[in-house]
Amino acid sequence: MFASYLIGLREGLEATLVVSILVAFLVKSDRRERLPLVWAGVGVAVALSVGFGALLTFTAAHLGQQQQELFDAVTSLAATVFVTFMVFWMRTAARKMSGELRQKMGEALELGATAVVVVAFLSVAREGLETALLWFAAVQGATSSASPLIGITLGLLTAVALGWGLYRSALRINLTKFFTWTGLLLILVAAGIFKYGVHDLQESGLVPGLNTYAFDISGVLDPSAWYSTLLSGMFNITPQPSVLEAAAWVVYLVPVLILFLRRPSAKAPASPAPKSAQPAS
Amino acid sequence: MRTPTVLAVAALALAGLTACSSTESGSGGTTEATAAGDGKIAVAATDTECKVAKSELAAGTSTFSITNNGSKVTEFYVYAAGDRIMGEVENIVPGLTRDVVMELPAGMYETACKPGMTGKGIRGPLKVSGESKPLTSDAKLAEAVASYKRYIKSQSDTLLGKTKEFTEAVKAGEVDKAKELYPVARTYWERIEPVAEVFGDLDPAIDARENDVADGEEWTGFHRLEKDLWVKKDVKGDGPIADKLMTDVTTIVEKSAALELSPVQLANGAKGLLDEVATGKITGEEDRYSHTDLWDFDANLQGSKAAVQALRPVLEERDPDLVKTLDAKFADAEGTLGAHRSGDGWKLHTELSKDDLRALSDAINALAEPISKVASVVAR
Repeated sequence: MFASYLIGLREGLEATLVVSILVAFLVKSDRRERLPLVWAGVGVAVALSVGFGALLTFTAAHLGQQQQELFDAVTSLAATVFVTFMVFWMRTAARKMSGELRQKMGEALELGATAVVVVAFLSVAREGLETALLWFAAVQGATSSASPLIGITLGLLTAVALGWGLYRSALRINLTKFFTWTGLLLILVAAGIFKYGVHDLQESGLVPGLNTYAFDISGVLDPSAWYSTLLSGMFNITPQPSVLEAAAWVVYLVPVLILFLRRPSAKAPASPAPKSAQPAS
Repeated sequence: MRTPTVLAVAALALAGLTACSSTESGSGGTTEATAAGDGKIAVAATDTECKVAKSELAAGTSTFSITNNGSKVTEFYVYAAGDRIMGEVENIVPGLTRDVVMELPAGMYETACKPGMTGKGIRGPLKVSGESKPLTSDAKLAEAVASYKRYIKSQSDTLLGKTKEFTEAVKAGEVDKAKELYPVARTYWERIEPVAEVFGDLDPAIDARENDVADGEEWTGFHRLEKDLWVKKDVKGDGPIADKLMTDVTTIVEKSAALELSPVQLANGAKGLLDEVATGKITGEEDRYSHTDLWDFDANLQGSKAAVQALRPVLEERDPDLVKTLDAKFADAEGTLGAHRSGDGWKLHTELSKDDLRALSDAINALAEPISKVASVVAR
């Protein structure tokens, strides 16, 4: 029961973290009219995941090993790009948020509409299919034991509640703090998503070196413990990463962090806003 | 506002992914059964055990159904050499059963449960043997060959029966009855001729014309009897010839049953039969004494069509336009030939005018052109 709960929580957190920060940002920056787009992205991702989950569960259709891994990998890599984009986009927007420039903010956020939907969609779709499959398996098994189903469902609900809590607390802190912390958090999340994408590419067999571990601390960090679940759910920190995924994590994190911290965000708008290195979307 | 486009693209990508991964209906038995436990390999996992119901499987698509009876979350893997993942399912929480479908070619594998999601897991050997039938177009090709072989089988059985009746009529000296049976028996022979031609020396023994026989060799087979029936009008000494024909046909039928055909051979056979029509039947060369060429003509056309029909699922997938063309040209050729029906059979070759023959020739040539493309489409 508790194990199922933790898995539900982990899968849920992977989606709600980014979405809740996105929503908090939109609300804080007075872009509430964009909220429906977020829910559209989330809704489509959920509908697709549930739809395909049902299709794969209840019909003869099935995804090959490689196809499933590739789907995860591609959505993860795309999510990395968009979340990174979102971080710098928020940073740019934050600079323009100081009073008199508020009206001109629309310009800076023009790219945002598509990005908002895509970020929301990818965050949920990334693990949505696996979660849906898991959930349907639990539904099918509910006849003999309902505890997995209850556990997973409660876990998902908890993740949503945590996301909501994050959103509420993010609303309460001041803008400077909000951008610094959520930015850092998102970069960590994105690094994790990127690492996860690389791992899936290795699992699909397209990229070699799955079993060459960078380190193995599974003795210390028990993957089935609650804290490991939280770590992997939020930042994809796993006790047994391959060399390549660990490298990917570092290669992403270091330059992006440097770029992000080069200028403390939300400084006086006197500083000219440099075009930050945004991945083309 | 590019939002809808983005969502549409995302949805399409996901849809495409699933679409191309669905098990194709008609590709010979999907392994996913709706009924629980049907054809699935049960795996009972606990914190210390990983009991796979079978350690030997037939190659192809298998469904593993993993039940976690332990207290830790587990994962299930099938590894090829070097721990290459052939299939996996994660997040099997205690009390849950999850299925995973994978395609395994023949070889040695290892199954592994990973209670607690750590370490190398509890390994066990898995031997996969036999013919692999992946769910790809190869399966369709294999099915095409199988379907054509069923056709050959059904024609062969009738060929044996009719040849027996024919040869017995010959041996009994019943000339009129033998004359009636001659084109009928040949119909079945001509339908399966592409297969018969694989066996070099038997085909001439059964089907050689007088001018094909080298000096000093005995002329045997259908046409020898044909000449005796129609020209000599006497088959008294033909008992051994009739017996040999029966033996040869029986041998061919037996050999055909064991023959491994390739899809390309089917395609070439379909083309070869039409060439036969053009060179032997329209000219009246084949049945020069009985003039029953149109029976053979019809049989060749049907044999050719049977081979193409067997390949149809593959052609539909790879070149739907070619299928349409073939259907139209087959219909034309059948229509042109159909004008020369006479009772249960056909007009004699001698009853056809030059224009009739030209029309038949044109119809066959128009069909030969698209049929000649089939082999390259199949070989793709």
